Amino acid sequence: MQASQISTMAVAAAEEASGHSEGLASHVFFHIGPIPVTEHIFSAWVIMAILLVTAFFVGRNLSMVPRGFQNVVEILIETWMGMIHQVAGDKGRRFAPVVLTAFIFILAANWIGTTPFFGNVPGFKSPNSNLSLTAAMAIVVFALTQFFAIRTLGFGGYLREFLVPNPLHILAELSRPLSLSLRLFGNIYAGGVLVHTMLVTVPGGFLITFVFLGLELFVGVVQALIFTMLTLVFLSIANTGHGHESHGEGHAEAHH
Amino acid sequence: MEGMAAAVAIAVGALGPALGIGYGVGKAMEAIGRNPEVSGPILVPMLIGLGFAEAIAIYALVIAFLLPK
Repeated sequence: MQASQISTMAVAAAEEASGHSEGLASHVFFHIGPIPVTEHIFSAWVIMAILLVTAFFVGRNLSMVPRGFQNVVEILIETWMGMIHQVAGDKGRRFAPVVLTAFIFILAANWIGTTPFFGNVPGFKSPNSNLSLTAAMAIVVFALTQFFAIRTLGFGGYLREFLVPNPLHILAELSRPLSLSLRLFGNIYAGGVLVHTMLVTVPGGFLITFVFLGLELFVGVVQALIFTMLTLVFLSIANTGHGHESHGEGHAEAHH
Repeated sequence: MEGMAAAVAIAVGALGPALGIGYGVGKAMEAIGRNPEVSGPILVPMLIGLGFAEAIAIYALVIAFLLPK
């Protein structure tokens, strides 16, 4: 076949079979009463169920000397508590649940979204590949930062922040949830499109798809890390006010 | 011609982040070259910084996806 024929076929096939022919919107999967539930929300629930069941089984027979999966969980929590302490100091402990939940959920969603089941079976899509889900998390973080800012500065101080040192403070505040949601959504969605395109258009693409799936795992970790670090930093800034910000993350090895 | 807008959006939009990532990693390599022990502590902040730079390219990609073909 000629090259032009192959390329047109490839483009058509990629567009049609990429699983994203319905575009960026998600199908309504079923209804709970009057409320429509889309595919991404359903798969988010599936991942939450997986996480809850895992947490239940890990938390059952905790031993003083951790072994196996409990060890992994303890490493995770210790590392993050150390990082929270570095960024936010002692006041940071109150953010720990939000920060850790964000990290664990986003990481689980990204990683489980690369498994073969997700993306092919109707009703299962990688949850962060929909802007609504990432925007929901970003809005929650935004609301939390405003809440902590009001609690730290008082309502008058909070309003004064928008005028006094930096008149564009409101732009900075509003751009944060925008960038948080778009960054996570763009990375995961583009990764999904990339893998699908590789699978469809590259001849013998089955093998090279594994390389891109590996890239997806890496991107999943990095994006979860970035979202969580940014959440931590924003919450910490909101909590300490703008007088004295804590010492960034100088020595990462000081804790071990 | 209709697909040009999306192609230009992502092509131009990826230029800046590519330069930024190259510069950032280059600086990290320099630092490691001066002092090979810092390769561990530099890794995570470097990756986080790369994530930020790459996010800009992803914004352009999202715009490219949103444009009608």
